Parts: sequence; C-alpha cells; structure tokens
Amino acid sequence: MPHATRPSTNESAFVLSALRENLRLDSRAIDQYRPISLKFSSDPDVYGQTDVRMGKTRVICNVSCEVITPYSDRKFDGVFNINCELSPLIGAGVEIGRPDQAELLLSRLLEKSIRRSNALDTESLCIIAGQKCFHVRADLHVLDHDGSILDACCLALVAALQHFRRPDYEVHGEQVTVFDVREREPVKLTLQHQPFCVTTSYYDAGTIMVQDATLLEEQCREGEIVVSMNRHGEVCQIAKYGGVPVDALSVLSVVKQSWEKVKMMDSVVREALSKDERERDKGGRMKAELSAENERVMERPVG
Amino acid sequence: MRYDRDIKNAKAIDRSSSRKTRSIPDITSRNPSPPQLHPHNTPSMEATMVLLPGENVPTDHLPKPKKGKLTLGPGLQHTPPSTISATTAGSLQVDHRKAALWLEHAGGRYQPSVGDLVIAQVHHSSVDTFSCALTPHTSFAILGQLAFEGVSKKTRPQLKAGDVVYARVSKASKWEDVEIECFNSATGKAEGMGQLKGGMVFDVRPAFARRLMMGTDKEGVSKGGVVVLEEVGGKVKFEVAVGRNGKVWVDSGSVRETVMIGQLLRGADEGGWDVEGQRKAVKKALRDV
Repeated sequence: MPHATRPSTNESAFVLSALRENLRLDSRAIDQYRPISLKFSSDPDVYGQTDVRMGKTRVICNVSCEVITPYSDRKFDGVFNINCELSPLIGAGVEIGRPDQAELLLSRLLEKSIRRSNALDTESLCIIAGQKCFHVRADLHVLDHDGSILDACCLALVAALQHFRRPDYEVHGEQVTVFDVREREPVKLTLQHQPFCVTTSYYDAGTIMVQDATLLEEQCREGEIVVSMNRHGEVCQIAKYGGVPVDALSVLSVVKQSWEKVKMMDSVVREALSKDERERDKGGRMKAELSAENERVMERPVG
Repeated sequence: MRYDRDIKNAKAIDRSSSRKTRSIPDITSRNPSPPQLHPHNTPSMEATMVLLPGENVPTDHLPKPKKGKLTLGPGLQHTPPSTISATTAGSLQVDHRKAALWLEHAGGRYQPSVGDLVIAQVHHSSVDTFSCALTPHTSFAILGQLAFEGVSKKTRPQLKAGDVVYARVSKASKWEDVEIECFNSATGKAEGMGQLKGGMVFDVRPAFARRLMMGTDKEGVSKGGVVVLEEVGGKVKFEVAVGRNGKVWVDSGSVRETVMIGQLLRGADEGGWDVEGQRKAVKKALRDV
C-alpha cells in the first residue's frame, strides 16, 4: 500500500503564505499551544495512567512496576524503561513492530529527555543492593496524530510518573516484604525534576518559528528544533536533526520561548494532579490519617 | 399479500452536482427561511430507523413499488428471495415515489463510485497516465493524460506531483484500478473539471461533502442542511469545488478569508451545527474578518 501522501502544492503554498501573514489555519497565535486536556484514570485503585489530548493528538501513558534483580553492573540502581509506540489507529501506514524513522526519533528524544536527565531517581528504586530492585516501566501509545506527538508524549509521561505510586516495602536484614496496595498505602516515586519537550517548527530559513504545529504544518515545515527543559530553566537537551540551517541566535530565542511553554505545561500538570488528589481524597481524611508527622510548634530560639 | 419483487442493485440515488465557480448571488433572490428540510426529516417517512450491519430491513418499512421493482442504494444488500440487509451502520432512507431505499452513514472512508466528482492529487506520472490519490493509503487512481478538454498527443497537460485536479470517476470496481477523467467523455467539454490552481484544500468527512453537494430543492432550501457556503458567498467572493472524497477546494481573494471559510466548514462538519447555528457562526466570522 502506498504511504500517506504528502500535502499538495496548493496546501503547502497556502500554509506558508498564511504563516507569512502571521495566520494559522485554526486562528491560533504563532506560538500558542492548543488547549491541553490531561486526565487520569477514574479508578481509585489505579495510579499512573494518563490520557493527554492536544487538539486531535491523543496519547495515553501507563506506568507500572514489578520487583526484579538489578543489573550486575548497576547494583544500587533500579531499572526504568520507556516504551513508546505509534498505534495503527493513527493511519493505515503504521504497523506495530516495524518502527519507522519517526517512531525511532520519538523514542530517542524521550530517552534523552527523561532517562538521561535522571528525572526519575533510579537509586530510590533499589530495595536490596545487588538483589532486589523495582523495575518501573512506562508504556506510551499514540492513538491519534495531529502534530506535536513528542510534546504530548512527554507531558503524559511526566504526569503519569508524578501520579504513579509503587508498593511500599520493609526490609529486615535479608528479608524483604513488599506490601500489597490493600495492606499499605503505596508510595509516590521520587522525581528530581519534571522535564517537558517543546517542538518548534520553522519555515523560511528560520524566520518563522511555530510552536505546536498540526500535522499539516509539520509536513510543510523546513525543519524542527526540540528543546527539553524543566520549569527552572535547566535545559536537558536540544535536538535538531537535519533540516534547513538556522543561525545560533534563533536557536537561543527558541530556547527562551520554550521556557515559557514549559512553565505553562508544568502548571497544567500540577493543576491536574492537585485536582485528582482532591477528588481521590474527599474530605481530606486520608492525608490526615496517613501522615506520621507530629504537630510541630515553631518556637523562637532563646537568646 | 405478497409482492413479487425483482430487486436490482442501483448506484447512489443522489448524483453530485457539478458546481465550480460561483459569484456573489443576488441579495434579492434569498428567501426568508422556511423550515429546513433535511433528508433525515423529510415528511415522507415515519421515525428514522437506524440499522447496524447485518440487520434486516423490516418488511413494513419497505416501499411498495408500482412496477414491482425495488431499487437499492448504498449500504443495502439483497439476499434472495426477499431479505434486504444492511452492510454498514446508518439510518434508513426511503423514497416512496421512486421505490428506492438506501442507508445514510457518516463514515470516514470514501469508496469511489462511477459519476462522482472528486478532488484528486497527482502523485506521479508515467508514459500516458497520471497516478492520482483520491484518499491516503489506497491504490492510486489512473488519470489518462488525454482525458482533458482540448488536448492532443502533441499538447499534453503539464501536471506535476502534488498538483490538484477536479475530476469525475469514470470507472470504479473492486478488482480494477479506479479511473478518473477531467472532461465529460460524452461531450468533450471540461465542465469545470481540470487543474485547480492556488487556493487551499480542506478535509471534511465524505458524508458532509455529500450534503454540501446535494444542492437546493424547489423552494431554494438546502437539501443537505448545509448553508455555510451560501451564507458566506453573500458577502465574500470565492471559488469552491467540492470533492465527494472528502475534500473541499476554496480560493478566495485573501488568505484570511480562505482561512475563515475553512474554519466554518470544519465547524459545520465536526461541530455538527444545524442551520441556525451555521448562520450565527457565519455572521460572527464575517464580523471578525
């Protein structure tokens, strides 16, 4: 079967002329993101499942864990894997098990942004050094593709990691007891920072920079720059795989623009997480029951 | 009483109308809106019946044909002796006058049938044909290089990959490549078909494209329930071509107007606006431009 057709000359010429007049086909601003909808699983026992929609783009993420033996060369670390797949629901040209270049790039960028930047502290996943550790795996499925799948995937993954809870455990000497979720309340993962990816597509040799491109805009672009950073402005990676050359000052301004978008995405995730926590914890009883802190009275130091 | 029916399969009842250019219509010819007749609400039928694939049409819904022949449209299949079953999910439409019945389904997949006007994109050319794509991920449709008006072996049309043409399906069957042509082979005239230059192509659902092409009935009321293009045409000058394969080509004076028309089309299609909603959306959009 022939693969998807490239857009016609009429469409690409029109998209370009619209962008030159600062117009996008859905009346957004040049750097405006589509409204992001982030949902968690409604099942109260399930943690770590997210469903992200950016316009028509839809990504779901599921984080799960199990207890395994750590790698012999990394005795003190747990294992964290990210598995990202484009589902055949996107279109007839996508097959499972045969990743094309877009899928490989997607996986590679997610690895660089999340795993290599140590967003999830793998040392915290260790139970007994050299013998037992947690293996956390994140499975991402892209269900619908209308551009910006990397941005949506990263957001879904980070939100799922922040939402997920691993089972609690106790170690007595060499004996480990991993408690079931019904016995003890599961524990959140330790994330050192929350990185997000912002993809900027450019046209006209870098003079027009567009954020959150739709599929049509992506097919007409001359290249893209992917910036991964967290809300503190710390850049995890900058990727520009080929495309028309762009001067360094433009790349710097793109990084600056991306920071604003990352702050926006971070606030979306935090708002959704706090809303979900309020819904799961109606009345605030669980938080009060589970906390082992005593009431601390702040006293003024004498003297 | 048992009717002896000789049922034959017919092609789609509603033919798409060929309409490429339109100028600003006269303001005087617009009538105040009577109740809109949508095919789903025609008074000739009782309640709309929705069928799922495999369900049989109950006998009381079948029209009584005068000549003893019942015509079946798309979505229905006849298993002798007298069962008619649905092949897709859709609402049953009956035309008692023509003794015909068919299913209206809002599917996303376009299946070519002879006589449809489509917007095709040229993929590549070979010795004497162009291979064009009607829908993504399907086999190419063949457009003969001489299937244009006023063309001979010495003067062939110059179409490159990525060009867009307005054509009519001349041959469509399950076992052969689909063939399209850019002229009316009976008269030899283009009738609005041929290369579409400039403008923008918007994607809509094939069922919506069909409603756009239904035209207006005797009182000037839109049969498909879509008035977006007519309303906009009252204030803005533009050219439009609707392809039954779910593509609408729009060319207007300015980029902003074309973007606005595209958004209105998408809203009417995906938002499911009714006629009043469409009118309000058009008024709002025209004010912003």
